[in-house]
Formats: sequence, structure tokens, C-alpha cells
Amino acid sequence: MSSTERRLDSQSAVASPHPVFSAGSPLLKKFDETSAASRSRQETATPPRSVVGIGNKVAKPDYSEAKIVLAMVGLPARGKSYLSNKLMRYLKWLEYEVKVFNVGQLRRTRARQQAEQSGIKEDHSAKYFSHNNEEANRLRDSLSEDSLDMLIQWLKDGGNVGIHDATNSTVSRREKIRARVAKEKGFYLIFLESFCDDPDIISANVDLKVNAGDPDYKDMSRDEARRDFLRRIAEYEAVYQTVTEPNLSYLRIKNVGSQVTVCQIHGYLQSRVAYYLMNLHIKPRSIFFSRHGESQFNVEGKIGGDSLLSPRGQQYANTLPALITDNIGDAPLTVWTSTLQRTIQTASQLPYNKLTWKSLDELDAGVCDGMTYDEIEAAYPEDFANRDDDKFNYRYRGGESYRDVVVRLEPVIMELERQGNILIIGHQAILRCLYAYFHDLPQADLPYIKIPLHTVIKLTPKAYGCDEERFALPIGAVDTHRPKPSISGPIPPPQIPVSTTGRDYYGEK
Amino acid sequence: MAAPLYTTDSGLLFHAGKILVVTVGLPARGKTHVSRALERYLRWMGVKTQVISLGDYRRKTLGGAQQLPPDYFTLGEKTPETMRLRESVREGCEGLIWKFFETGGQVVIYDANNGTRRARKDLAEKFDKAGIHVILLESTCDNEEIVKANIRSVKISSPDYKGWDEEKAIEDYYRRIHDHEKYYEPVEETDWPFIRIFNVGDRIEINKIQGYLQSRIIFFLMNIHNKPRTIYFARSGQSLIEHSYKADSDLSPAGWEYAERLKDFVIQRRKKTLEERGIDASESRLVIWTSARRRAHHTAWPFLTHASNPPANLNPTVAASAPGSSTNSPLLGALQTSASSTSLYSPSLYPQKLQVPRVPHLMLPPSTLSPALALLPPQQQQQLLSAPQTQVITQPPTPPPPQPIKVKVIEKPQMSEINPGVWDGLSPDEARRLYPEEWERFLKDPYAFRAPRAESYHDLCVRLEPILVELEREQEDLLIIGHASVIRCLLSYLIGLPASEIPAIEVARGDLLEVRPASYGVHSQNLHFWDGPGRRGAARTRPSSAAGGATIGTGPGAAGAGGAGRKGEALGLSKLRDLELDDSGLTGEGAEGEAAVFEDAMDVPPEEGGADVDNGASGDATEDDEAGNPNNYYENYAEDTRGKRKAGMSALGLSI
Repeated sequence: MSSTERRLDSQSAVASPHPVFSAGSPLLKKFDETSAASRSRQETATPPRSVVGIGNKVAKPDYSEAKIVLAMVGLPARGKSYLSNKLMRYLKWLEYEVKVFNVGQLRRTRARQQAEQSGIKEDHSAKYFSHNNEEANRLRDSLSEDSLDMLIQWLKDGGNVGIHDATNSTVSRREKIRARVAKEKGFYLIFLESFCDDPDIISANVDLKVNAGDPDYKDMSRDEARRDFLRRIAEYEAVYQTVTEPNLSYLRIKNVGSQVTVCQIHGYLQSRVAYYLMNLHIKPRSIFFSRHGESQFNVEGKIGGDSLLSPRGQQYANTLPALITDNIGDAPLTVWTSTLQRTIQTASQLPYNKLTWKSLDELDAGVCDGMTYDEIEAAYPEDFANRDDDKFNYRYRGGESYRDVVVRLEPVIMELERQGNILIIGHQAILRCLYAYFHDLPQADLPYIKIPLHTVIKLTPKAYGCDEERFALPIGAVDTHRPKPSISGPIPPPQIPVSTTGRDYYGEK
Repeated sequence: MAAPLYTTDSGLLFHAGKILVVTVGLPARGKTHVSRALERYLRWMGVKTQVISLGDYRRKTLGGAQQLPPDYFTLGEKTPETMRLRESVREGCEGLIWKFFETGGQVVIYDANNGTRRARKDLAEKFDKAGIHVILLESTCDNEEIVKANIRSVKISSPDYKGWDEEKAIEDYYRRIHDHEKYYEPVEETDWPFIRIFNVGDRIEINKIQGYLQSRIIFFLMNIHNKPRTIYFARSGQSLIEHSYKADSDLSPAGWEYAERLKDFVIQRRKKTLEERGIDASESRLVIWTSARRRAHHTAWPFLTHASNPPANLNPTVAASAPGSSTNSPLLGALQTSASSTSLYSPSLYPQKLQVPRVPHLMLPPSTLSPALALLPPQQQQQLLSAPQTQVITQPPTPPPPQPIKVKVIEKPQMSEINPGVWDGLSPDEARRLYPEEWERFLKDPYAFRAPRAESYHDLCVRLEPILVELEREQEDLLIIGHASVIRCLLSYLIGLPASEIPAIEVARGDLLEVRPASYGVHSQNLHFWDGPGRRGAARTRPSSAAGGATIGTGPGAAGAGGAGRKGEALGLSKLRDLELDDSGLTGEGAEGEAAVFEDAMDVPPEEGGADVDNGASGDATEDDEAGNPNNYYENYAEDTRGKRKAGMSALGLSI
């Protein structure tokens, strides 16, 4: 008899103690009523509102002090857009307001407008990018300045991090940016140089550029496009100056992480950005998500708890190893589970290294742990409706909100970025948060993402997002997804992007 | 942001293998500061780490600088004897490194100058061959000011210059540095992974650093600074239901009163500290971190009302938006508007005499007793059902002087107290009965043990790791209003205590822990400012070895804690002489025990300064308390029984 079984056994033997202050016990309500009365004559001038019910909405943390201009530096095909998109996804997931201002997009958009209005088509071949072409130089300078002005305005309107995605390849251009940002009070400027001299990486980036349908090359053959793009790079190389200005804050990343220079970087968010970038790699790998097999509590409709698998859940655990092995072959893989029985049990037969993370435990439902949704709704109908109103920000009393889970998962994301092939046997809320990070899904949709039982989700990171495959095993399970209730009929769950790997050339997505 | 700690078969953490960090740099460039900080951090994460200092070793084996031949520190021509001497020191030191690795150590930080490429290459190759990952950590500094400050503050107080005239010592030291400079070669070889730190973190260069532990080291190094600042820790006020994690209950009346006193005391204390440094306290912002638990962030409330001062209506916008904020977390709403507002203190906030109605907790007729309530021990039931009374609290005769403050309060969800899992709300007796096996293990190892669905202290440390890096990063004065378990973990990091000691650190409600980081550690002292209901759940005695009383820290000039502590205490005690020590509601029984302790404490003459008040009454008091006051024992058990575990257990009525 394992200690788990014994424990379950002893629990049932001693009349399983309902947690004293659970939402299922009348004590909590009584307590709230009486303690609210005691608050009426508090000595504080403006006492914070009293605690009642099963939870409440939590306001977003105050990030208003963060105003950062992050200006990219680097030759074309050095992964600047890759880094800026990746960074945007990470910071947005952490609830910062982030926007990428891509000068290339602005150039294409304006050229397209001009072509539509006047019919004149601007020449955006390599000639346009030559430093000897004065007219084009002037145009490109003004594009960069306009883009920076738009960025600064956006920061003033409440943004936190604006990413200026351009080559910014000369000392004089960077000086102009510095002087412009210095006019704004409380703005912080960082240059992020992506330096690359690994011919394999460059070549792969060039291929991606000319094969991915860049409108700059839409009328050219691939070979022509490749030649033109290489000429464009050469034009930049002729005047390129790596960042060494001692008065600037900068991060210089060589060959995606192999060498990093960090200069004059102060501030917590800034150092986090640096740490994140240090942990990125671009080696191909896949990340697998699976929920635990169907649990006893799933069958009973209860939330939380630490129950064991149901017979069908056990069947899933038996079948999982074959599916994973078919997919991954001989490649190395590490399995991560939470500390709860149902994930450990689900992973038990997988022939890989396993690691248990406390941070992967399911969202803590606090006083509602171990109850069914119906029971909660019956005991606290108003609170229950409140949670549906803003599920992301709703924190269960004595438990967590989705936001709390995002904060707790941040180290997991960092570790995921560093790792190779990983299979996470997790829980519904946890996998929703991780999934939203990889697909850049908005907060409001996050708590409604469908992560069904007995399904493996395979994500393969690509240049601008992730490819996704789903493998549903034909083993029945209860549906634990609760769609957002609505007066005007059920709202369809958010569209799951099949692939988010395409590049956005005009900034319209 | 630490991954969960896991030990591989070899006994090493993170699959990181063994690492030798070789410091490089001229003297007085802060190598030791960085080495010690890193050692503290890695040890706290559970990595077996050791700084091996060439200077310390030399001093130990050969004695101070005076005992050395005159050419010992000149790098040029040396007599054969000096060469031999140096060689023997180097070899002895390397022997220590090997020994540490061989006995299960994972990271060695070799604190020496290692100023030539040649010496580094020899060293790195030797260890690399044995499969040890070598990282060069260079600390360079071209800012003369920083170097001078370093020499003055640290070097001339080193044992090398014991009994020397200050100016002569500085001169001698400069000569030593100068000789080194001639031969110094900065780390420019890229064949080894390196980290170069310029002017204490102004710029950091990193080469070929790979691996989890290594990148953590860099992130940490990016966040440390050595600017003067103070970190304060205080527990949250007493809550209505102390022993339930899930109930997340609000402050009790005593808790609210505590919050007011805490605010007054911190403001006064900080003003004094800052004035000593020539800083105007009203100009310097205090950052407050609380957990997301109500008892913690409501304890910060008086700071906000003080800063925004709604009754005087000096700042109408703030006053209007703070109380009626539309969000359901009014505090947060208020934070955003009043974050850094400054205004004058208004005496109207502090009535001389205050009527606080005793909370009519849970006045249920016995017939409605829920099964859950029936599970509680009888005394507890009694408290839950006790009748309302009125309690009179006499305010201190003089309100604190007007004092504008700048304050920003930040709620950190990672700072919740240790989660008791299924033991939440249970009495120790029930826990023992329902989970006998787990209970045994809990008693054996309160640091590593995780009750079902609960967190261990180890889990808590991992959870707090991002907070710790932010703590290092913060430059403004910081007040952490938290829970005993959280304060214990953070404090053990700052002070450098081994992990196993964490659960035993005493953190009493009513004490303000003041920690000032210094070169080689921290100065910390324990300022006692409040005695009242709910001080229990923590220490009966004044904290001793770990958290306070005496100054902790390895640096010189650590101030005696006692004097300052007494001042704080006097405030609390004078008030308490008149106070009717009746508790507010759920924690009623403890009150008499409290009174006894206070009497004892008052009998100690203030002159006794730093000595801890280790009163004999504590044992009895604990007994009273444990029986009547259901505190969160999962959080406080080890503390309750620290150093006298047997007594503590018998106090709980257990026979183990």
C-alpha cells in the first residue's frame, strides 16, 4: 500500500475534514457577516473594503513608471525582428504594454499607399538602401524618425515598451535617436544589437526572407531576390558601426546568445529583458503539452483537489508513452509534471527523465477547492457571476487568479526557452497560461482556451510564432471546459491559431 | 526564477556539474564583495558553494603584511625565498579547492587577483582537465573614486593593517596596487567563458556562458549594487482568523492598531537613519512590498492614508479616488493614484482615546454549530461564540510629529505565506491524528517536509527567488510587510544562514527588523516597537541569534542593536502599562500569557542594551498560547519549539 493510498484511506476513515473555512461550510458566510460589522468603526480614515465571499477581482499591477524605448541595431537578416517579436510576446504575457514599430513595415505601407494614389512605384531594390543614394537616405531617415515619433507618442498614451525595429546601424543615427528620446522625461533608451557572423544562421535568415513572400521581392525570382537582398546587406555593411558608444545603454547579442555584452543597463525590467535574451536559443525543438488523464475529481465535477486518475485516466497514462515515442523518436526529451498525484501518475510510464515542479500545480481555488461549480454557484451566486465577468483577474479567496498563475509561471517560461524537447503533463489553467504565451493570445481569452483531456498538443517554435499539432487519443473523458456564459447566447471560444509563423509585412495583424 | 531544485545522482544540483569561478582583478576592485554576494545567493539556492580566498589563506598561514618579505607583493624580481613562499600559498589554496570539490562541493569561487593571462590559463586548464567548468569573473574599475572608497572602507581595516596608521596604510596599499597594475592583463582571451564587470555593474560583458546555473549567476550579478540603503521587515498585523490560510481574513482591531504603530515607528526610525546620512526623509521615497494577502496589504494602509492624507483634503484628487475606487481591490486603486503623493500629517487622524468595539465574532447559537466548528477544540469554539465587549485602547499621549512621506506600495503575489495545504485550519492535534505519518516527517525535517498539497520551506524559497533578485535590485529604502515564513526565507538569505535553520528563525510581530547591506555582509538589528495582542504566533522571547538582538554581519563597525531597540521598545511599553490586555476575539486566551511576558520585559533595565531578554516565562506562556490561540502552526511550529523542541511538544500535549 503506497503512502498515498494509505492517506486516502485514513482520510475516509476519519470522516474527511471539510476545510473549516471552505466556501462549502456555513462558517465562512457567518464569519464574513460578523467581521464586516466590526469594520464599521475602524480608525483608519478610508479603510479598504471588507472581505466577503469567495474572492474578488484584482487590479492590474501599476507599470506606469516603465517607459522604455528599445531600439534594435543590426544588419538585415540578423534576427532583429525575431528577437523583437519574441521579446514582445514575453513582455505582453507579463502584462506590459508592448508594441513593435517596424520601419520596414512603415516603408512598405507608405510605398503601397503612394502606389495606389499616384501610381508611382518606389524602387525598393538594393539601390534604395545604398548610402550613396542621397535621396533614398533622406527618405529612410525620415521614415525612421516618423516611426520613432509614433513610438514616443504611443508610450505617452500609456505604453510601456516600444520596440524600434530598424537597422540603426550608424553612430550618427543612434545619436539622433538618443537626442530625440532624451527630450522625453522619464523615458529610458536601450539599444539591442543583434550581431551575427555565423554564416549558417545568416544564410538561413536570408532564405527565410526571400522565400517567405516578402512584398519587396514579389516580382523577382528567388535567385534574383536572394542576390538583391545580399546586395542590400552589403550596402549596410559598408557603413555599419557596431555599438560601442560608452554613453549608451546597450545589450549586444552575438550569434543568438553565445556572447552577450550588457552595458549601462539599469532597472529591473531592463535586466529581465537581458536575462530573457540570454536564455533564448534557435535550435529546433518541440514542446508538448498534455493535461493529466481524467481524474476522480474530473468525473465528479469537482475543482482542485489532489485526486488520483479515473480508470479512463489510467488508460490514457498507459497509452501516452507510445504516442510520444512515435513522435519524438530517439531525440532526448524531459517530462515535467506538477507535484499533484494525477500528473505524476499520468507520467509514470513515460520512459524519459522526469522533473517535478511545484510551480506547475493547478490554480489554487482557495475556499472553493474540492467543490463543484454547481455547489459554488448555489452558495455564492453573485460571486460566481463576477468571476465569469473577468475571469483573468478574479482571485479566489485564499487562492489564486489567472494573473497570479502567470506570475508564478514566469520561471517556467524562462526555463522552457532554454530547454530542448519538453513534455509538460499539467493542468487546465496552467496549460492555458503557457499556451497563451506561445501563441500570443490576449488575456481576456486566456481563461477560455480549450485544452481538452486526453489530447497532446505539440508546439514547434518557428521564426515568428509556433506551429501546432494536436493528437487526440480516442479515450473518452468528461469535458471540463466551461465556456463564458453570456446573455446573448454562448460566445464561441477564441479561434486557435493553426499557425502563427507568418511574418507581418505591413503591420496590419 | 529558479527552477525547482533537484539533486542528480552525483549529488549536484541543476545538472550543472562543478564550477570554478576564478575572480580576476586588481586589489580594491570589489572582488570580495562580489564573491561573498554570489556565495550567499548560491548557498541559499541550495548549491554547495565556498569562497576560497587567497588573501585569507595567506594571512592564516603566513600572518599579516608586516610579517612578509618586502618583495612579496611586488611582481617583479623576487628572492627565491619569496617565490617559494608565494608558490606554497598558491598550492595550499588550490589544495583547498580540490578538497572542496572532492568532498561534494559544487561551486568554488576562488577569490584572488589572477592578474596574468598565464596564471589564468594554467589554473583553468588544470581544472578543466578534471571536468570542472571554469568561469573567469573579472571586476575592473577605472573610476578612482570607487577604488578610493573601497580602500578606505574595507582594505585598511583588514587584518593586514591592524595597528597601522590610517594614512600610512593607504599609502602602503596604493603601492601594492600600483605594482600589480604594471603586470595586470585584463581578461581579453575568449577561449574561456568570462564575465567582466566594469565599475560595479555599469557595464557587464559576457562570453560563452552556457548552462542554467551560469546564466542565473549573471542575472544575479546584473542586479546587485552597493549603494547604501535600508531594508525593513515587519510582520503583518494580527488577522481575525490567524490559523487559516484559505480564509484570507482581514486584520483584527489589534491588527489595525498595530498597522498604525508600525507606520509611526517606521517613519520616525527612517527619518533618523536618513538624517544621519544627511538625507531629507521627505525627499526619499519608501517602497513597501506586501503580499497579496489581506492582512498584509491592509497593514500597509496607514502608510497610504498618511501619504495621501484624505481627512485634511489637502490633495482632493487623491482623497476622492482612494476610498471609492471602483475596483474591488480598493487598495490597489488607491495605490495607483496616491503612489508618490506627499502631504502633511494631520493630527486629526489620531484621536487621544479610541473606542474600538470588540468584534462580535460569529455569534451563532449553539444549535447552528456546523460540523466544521465542532471539529475545533473547545476553547476555540468558545472564542468563536464569545459575546461582544468593548475594548478601550489608550493612545500614546503624544502623537508622532508631522512628517510628510513619499511612499509606493506594491503588492507581490509571490509573497504569500507558506501554504499549509490540507492542514489548513486544523489544530496540531487533528493534523497528527489525521496524518500521522506526515506529522512524524514534519517534526523531523520542517525545512524540507511538504505536507499534502502544502509547500515546504524549500518550495517557498524557490517561489521567493524572483523577489530576492528584485530585493537586490531595489535602490530605494524598502519595507517588506510580510508573513513570518516569508520574512524568514528572505532574512536567511540576507544574513547567510544555512537552509535548515530557516524554519527556526524567530520573527515576532511588533519587531521591526532593520537590515543594512554592507561590503562583506549585512548589519541587521531588531527594533522592538509594539507589544500587544497577536504578538504571539511568533516569539515569546526577544529574537536572539538569528533575527536580531545582536548585530549580525561580518563587517566591522556593526552597531549594537540594544540601544536603538530599547528606544523603540519604550514606546511600546509605556503605552502598555495602561493597556487592558484583552485580546480581540479569536485570540483571546493568549492575552494573560502576554501580560506576564511584558512584565518580565519591562523589568529589564534599558542599560542592558544588546542582551536578549530571554525570559523564563516563555515556556509557560507558550503553553497558554498553544492551547488557546490557534496560530498557523504549520508556519510557526519550528519557531515555537526552537532549541527546546521537547518542551514545545509537551506544551502541545503530545507524547512523542
